[in-house]
Order: sequence, then C-alpha cells, then structure tokens
Amino acid sequence: MKFGKRLKRQVEETIPAWRDKFLSYKDLKKLVRLISVAPSSAESKAEAEFIYLLNSEIEKFNAFFMEQEEEFIIRLRELKERLRSVITAANEPPEAVYAAEMWRIRKDIVNFHGEMVLLENYSSINYTGLAKILKKYDKRTGGLLRLPFIEKVLKQPFFTTDLISKLVKECEDTIEAVFQVPQEDARSGGPEAVAATEQSIFRNTVAALATMKELRNGSSTYGQFSLPPMSLPDIDLAQALQLTSPIPS
Amino acid sequence: MSLASTDHVLVIACAVGILNILALYEDPQKKPGCENAFTSTIDLVRHIRPTHNDYFSITVASYPDFSVVVAELREFDSTGKSFSLSIIAIEIKNIILPTIKEKYPALPDSQQVSMERGPRSEHVTSCHTPFVSNSGSIGPLFSSAPGFSSDLHFSSVAPLDRQMITAPLVSQSSESGMWFPLAQSHSGASQTSVRKFTRESPDVSWSPVSLQGVIDNDSAVSNQVQSNCIMVSDDKQDDIWSDLIVDEWKELLNDPNSTDTQPKEAYSLGQASNISSHQPQTHLAIPSHSGEHYAVTSPTSAANSSAAKPRMRWTPELHECFVEAVNQLGGSEKATPKGVLKLMKVDGLTIYHVKSHLQKYRTARYRPDSSEGTSEKNASPLEGVSSLDLKTGIEITEALRLQMEVQKRLHEQLEIQRNLQLRIEEQGRYLQMMFEQQCKGNIDKLKASSSQSPDPTNTQATETPTDKKPQDDAGDDSPVSAKATEGPKQNKTRTETEAIDILDEHPPLKRIKGNENDLQ
Repeated sequence: MKFGKRLKRQVEETIPAWRDKFLSYKDLKKLVRLISVAPSSAESKAEAEFIYLLNSEIEKFNAFFMEQEEEFIIRLRELKERLRSVITAANEPPEAVYAAEMWRIRKDIVNFHGEMVLLENYSSINYTGLAKILKKYDKRTGGLLRLPFIEKVLKQPFFTTDLISKLVKECEDTIEAVFQVPQEDARSGGPEAVAATEQSIFRNTVAALATMKELRNGSSTYGQFSLPPMSLPDIDLAQALQLTSPIPS
Repeated sequence: MSLASTDHVLVIACAVGILNILALYEDPQKKPGCENAFTSTIDLVRHIRPTHNDYFSITVASYPDFSVVVAELREFDSTGKSFSLSIIAIEIKNIILPTIKEKYPALPDSQQVSMERGPRSEHVTSCHTPFVSNSGSIGPLFSSAPGFSSDLHFSSVAPLDRQMITAPLVSQSSESGMWFPLAQSHSGASQTSVRKFTRESPDVSWSPVSLQGVIDNDSAVSNQVQSNCIMVSDDKQDDIWSDLIVDEWKELLNDPNSTDTQPKEAYSLGQASNISSHQPQTHLAIPSHSGEHYAVTSPTSAANSSAAKPRMRWTPELHECFVEAVNQLGGSEKATPKGVLKLMKVDGLTIYHVKSHLQKYRTARYRPDSSEGTSEKNASPLEGVSSLDLKTGIEITEALRLQMEVQKRLHEQLEIQRNLQLRIEEQGRYLQMMFEQQCKGNIDKLKASSSQSPDPTNTQATETPTDKKPQDDAGDDSPVSAKATEGPKQNKTRTETEAIDILDEHPPLKRIKGNENDLQ
C-alpha cells in the first residue's frame, strides 16, 4: 500500500485541476484482489473488468496528456512572443512598464516550466503505478499480462514525453535569456523570498522529487524490473523541503 | 436506386431549387430484394456531398442498428461536419431508432426532397411533412407534389397529437421496415409545442435533441433556416428533450453500385463554422435495450467539448502553421475555424481540431498565463513591486532561481528514470526472447532424442548465476544468464551506467520497513 499512499499524497499536492486524472490505483488493486479470490465463474468477469479499467485509465491519461501538451505548445509560443515584444519595448521611454512586465514574464515562465515538468512527473507516476499493478496482477493470478501490456503502455502518447522534454529545454534556454538581465549580486534569499514564489507549483515539484526518491529506495519486492535508488544530493532537497514548510503564506 | 438515377434526382433537385434532402437507405437485410447502389446511408451522403458540395442540407434517418449509428456518427464528426444528433430513445419493441441529421445552413425557400426507391422511375417530390400511420406506410405529405408515384405508399395523414406522440408507437413489423410516426413536440421558447401533422399545416418542425454532435460554433455564422421542412431550425433546439418519435421512411434508395469510399478528407471540410447558433447540448438518456454502450453524455460546457474523437497530437510546427494561418486571416478574433482549416491545408486535420485549438489559442492570448493549472495566483508580491526596488527584486529573483533549480532537478531525474524504465523493459524483452529460444531449443532436442536422459542444457540455462538480478518474487521474471544482459546495453549515458552499477552493488535484500523512514 505504500505506493498507494504516496500516490494519494501526490494527488493531494497536485494542481487541483489534475486531481482526478491520476491512476485509480486503489480501484485496480481491489479488482486484482477480487480476481484472485473470485470463484472461477466470476473470475473471467472480474478479469474483464480489470482489463477494461486499465484500458480506460490509459485512455484518460492519453487524452489529458495530449490536451495539456497542446496547451503548453501554445503557451510557450505566447510567452516567447511576450518576451520578444517586451525586449523590443525595453528601449522606449516608459521603462517602468517594461520592468514590471519583465517581472511578470519571469514569474510566468518559471511557473510554466514548473507545470511542464509536473506533467512529465504525472506521466512517470502513472506509468509506475501501471507497472506495479500489472506486477501485482501477475503475481496474484499467475498470469503473464505484465510484459506485453507494459510494452503497449510504453508506446502510448502519455508516456512518450519527448515533445514535452523538448519544450522544457526550450523553456530553460529562454529562461536563461530572461535572467540575463544584470542583477545586483546580493544573495539575500530568505524565507520571504520563497513566499514570493508560486507556492503550489513549487510545493508540488518538491513533493514530486521527494516521492520519487522514496519510491526508489527499494522495497521488499526489489527485482530485476525495479529502478535503482536515486542519486540525488540530499542537501539540496532537504534545504528545499525545509524552506517550504514554515512559510507563513 | 441506381447511381445514375440518384444523380439524376440530385440534379433535378438542384435545378428545382430544393435544398433539403432526406436521404434514406434501406437496409438490404430487411428487404432482400432491393438493390442498393450504396451500402449505407453514409455512402449515400458521401456520394451526394462531393458532387453537390454544400448545396444540400441532408437529413438522414432510420438506422436500425445503433452501433452503426455510432460508427457513422463518428465518421461524420471527423469529416468535419456539423450535425446535430437526435436520438429518439423510445423503446419500441426493443428497437431504438435514432435519427441523425446533418445540418447545414439552408436558405429560406427550402423544400424537401425525399429520395425514393421506385422501380419505375425516380420521383422528386417535395414534401412538407412526413406522415406515418399505423398501417405501416408512410406518406410524405405535400400539397404540390409533382409526379407522385403510387409506389410511394402515401397514406392519409394521421394527425398526431400530443398523446400519440408520447406513446411509444407502432410495433415493429417484421415485413418491410418499420413505421413509426414521427413527431416532435417542440418545447421551447420560440415555438408552440405540438405540431399536428396535417396536410394543411406544413410547418412541422422538429426539435431534435442535440447531442454532443452539435457543435456550438462561432456565432459569427448562423445562417439557418428551416422553414417548413423536417429540418428544424436550430434555434428551436432547446435543452429540453421533447418527445420524439422516430419516423422511418420506407422508401429508400439505392441500388447496388459499388460504394465509393471516399476518403473523408475529400469532403468539403469546414462546415462546422456554418452551423447555426445552437444551444448547447443536452443530456439524453437512452434506454439501450440493444445493450449497446454509447456514452452520450454531453458536457454542458460547450466550450470544452470536442465532438471529434480522433485525437490530434499537436506539434510546435503544426502550431506555427496554425498561427500563420490565423494571422493571415486577421488575428485570433477574426479568424474562423473554417478559414484556418482551409489555409492550413493539412491532411487529416478536421474542423473540430482547429476549432478547439483556436479556442485554446484565444484563451492563451487574452489571459496570458493565468492558467487553470495553477491554483494560486500569486500576483501581489509582484504587483506592488516598483521595479526600482532592488532588494525585493533580488529576493524575488532568488526565489525564482531556487524554484528553477528544483524544477530542473526534477526534470533531470524524470528523464533519467524514464530512460531506465525503457532500458529495463528492453532488457526484459530480450531476456524473455532468449529464454523462449532456449526453451524451444530444448523442446526440439527433447523431441529429437526422447529416449535420452534429461537434457543438461536445460539445467544450464536455469542455473546460471545471476549477479545482476536480485531475488524477486515476480513469477514472470525468468532466470537469466548474466551474459545476456550485455546485449542491449549499448547507448548508455554516464549516469545510467552509474545507475546500473548501483544496481549491481545493491544485492538482493529484504528491506526492513523501518529503513524507509530513516531515509526520509
């Protein structure tokens, strides 16, 4: 149930609009349990239901993912447009306007980047959930569903995140440019600074990282298909975690 | 009806100024004797469309088979047609008969043509209202009907009143087709409720319940009319599902010429923008006795519904093309889906895709990055900032920088993880293959030398030490030879190699649950 709990926590932390788009892990588990205890008459029906649910979950992921992807494509382009227009306006008299807009763009673009990464995380965690539930199924029913099914999943749109990855990189490059604007060097990032960030996305991201780490710390069923532990410098993460907690928003 | 005669009728219709066509197709299963040029109504429509483009408004009716409806409906969807779907869900001896309509703007003087099957000749009749009586024949009714064939089985009109309308009607006859009086009581602000079907009252109007198929489109174009014909003007469609009864026309068309399965793209796309201004969809509960699923839940938020099922995966290049087209048309406000679609000239792109994309585009422009994704709009710290306040500016920059760091970290990790997952599965496949080959080899050997002792090769395969593979309890993880893992390991990044090394270093352990807490 560990994954289930972690998933639940992720879902709670996530962007509200996304909450019902995640894997219905619990339901699937219930079905697997049902299958294994069902009398043989009901068994095939339960199995059919399981498969049906699996497929409809995948549909759900795909639809949501592609929709978000589409939106991200549009928004990235718009952000770049905004940036371009602000930069060209930079040399004109109302510089205050320029500066304010620049801040807004910076904030927006960082948040946008965050959202895209969270979508990748969405994809990843759902995949993990699927892999786990399939493993459970095979274990409980002695079936051989996992391998072929996971093959199919690997090809699904929601798992082929190459485009999003590309967008993220593009965004990062753009951000480099945005933050090139000369800044004073004082490094005074205190707790107040963190409060200024878009709390939800930031929190989400940190939570996602934490969850990932936990998930990969190994389990009792560590096997050839399990992922190795993450190599993440603990210091940064701890710092980030620390920063998110006591901020009076 | 033969192809030729169908065409002939169409031409006449054109000439005569008829704009609405009721296209009927008779299921050959029901009437084995008839010959059909088309295999389905869709074919018929497909045929009509390219020949006459958008000249005609086509109504289609009477699908006995619901699943067929669904399939064809989807096709209509993807061809970019606007349509409204009326599903008349009346249980009539376990039959559900939907009526599907395709709607197009029709001009004021629309009349109706029903294409009929007639062994003698084709007749173009203009009818104002359809009628059905319980005797099992239809009589399209019209006063000024040229060339009325007795084949058409016109019967006298049975005036239908409200009571009749509500009652499920007419049993299905096993013979030639089913007859159901069709009437729509039209509830809504604009019109009176029941129409009586009489000879004298040509203004029967339908108010089909529109389902998801109805596209709410730009109110820019709302050109519809329907006067006295079966096709109802859309503004009469309300959210109220009025009682509907399906009318199935007996006279159907079509002789058996080969169907031309034209690719959907050949259709003139971009009709949707011409759809009349509809009211949003309504919910329709369909008692499905035939046991078919049709998830007809129409989202009431018309803006978000996308009727087209085939999902389009957009790319930046495609979007670029889109933006260019939009700009050419004068900007996101002025551009219409139809126009954009035409300009883009992309195969497989439908009006629905363009429409929904355009909507997203508009939203993105006019509410820049106040996305629905973010739950908090953290506007305040920045709004108040006078940009000259360096210190706050610096703090904010720091915060953003930190945020970026974390995000980048997560992104990086996700990438690594994904690649690992892919590799792992690839390995799994490879091993599985190897195992199967081994097994096969063994079986062959066994077959070849069945009298001999147990095959040593078999044991070898299963007992090779697996230092890479920690113990596990998954049934399908086949024992493997360590060497086999060398194969797929070609293109690894350094971090991945490290990860695999870690895998090596972590021998199979049964972790105590307490450990995980410590690691937090």
